[in-house]
Amino acid sequence: MSTNAPQPDRALTPTAIDALTMDTTPWLSCEDCFERMDIYVEALARDGSHDDAAMAAHLRGCPACAEEADSLVDLVTGSGT
Amino acid sequence: MSTTNRDEPLPLGLSPSRGQEAPVGDREPDDWVTALATPGAAQHDAMRRLHALMVRAAAHQVWRMRASLPEPSRDAVNDLANQAADEAMTALLGKLHTFQGRSRFTTWAFKFAILQAATEVRRLQWQHRELELRDLDVAAPVHDGPEHAAEAQDLGTALARAMRSVLTPHQRRVAVALLVDGVPIDVLAERLGSTRGALYKTVHDVRVRLRAELVATGHLTAVTPPSNSAGTS
Repeated sequence: MSTNAPQPDRALTPTAIDALTMDTTPWLSCEDCFERMDIYVEALARDGSHDDAAMAAHLRGCPACAEEADSLVDLVTGSGT
Repeated sequence: MSTTNRDEPLPLGLSPSRGQEAPVGDREPDDWVTALATPGAAQHDAMRRLHALMVRAAAHQVWRMRASLPEPSRDAVNDLANQAADEAMTALLGKLHTFQGRSRFTTWAFKFAILQAATEVRRLQWQHRELELRDLDVAAPVHDGPEHAAEAQDLGTALARAMRSVLTPHQRRVAVALLVDGVPIDVLAERLGSTRGALYKTVHDVRVRLRAELVATGHLTAVTPPSNSAGTS
């Protein structure tokens, strides 16, 4: 891993601004997201309007967990296999 | 960041390796936990069935992310899926006692394979890439179009100022790596000897601090988004 000197040609893109200022409350950890993911995904598969504010906030703010939840939805609903 | 391919289904050939398929024509266990935890023929059968399920889920995940793989051939996907399934099965069996039956067992099992496979794809994607852990070096933002240029410039400048004033150097470096440079959280965690959870906590704290500062300076309004507005991606 390097700790290079600053490279002044870089800039904040709108995507980076959105990612940095995103509201990810209420707080939920990645560990708790994983714990709930199967229950959340089955609830979503039954009812697309299922509401879990903490899960939704976490999945907005954590692309890795979001990809895995999305994949699980695909697998459970059969849309991706 | 990893690239997903959600539009193309998993080819039929990508599935458990020969000899690992679940038995056809008889039922899966009614009580997976008991079947997997009780020595005997039923346990052997349950293990075989579970492994087939794990390979299926891992292959599903690797296939979604195959564009990120250095070598996205069918054989490579299959090998990676089988390897991830093995590791995920070990993780699952270590947590078997925690299954509470609040979802189907298969859904609960799939998430272990998906996590393992996705983490492994991201690791392979970055294995030969040097990861730069840099501090903020931004003076002004770039923007998509003229209609939002002034607003973005103003918010971006205020954001860069806030990052320097309310974040610690560690918080800035983690935020820049994950949210500006797009380093996958698992990859950064591995390189730093940390965990996904610990880094996400840092990112969450960063966002809370930055939002509070930008609200205080009038660049953001303190609005909580609707609680049911988000899906899974």
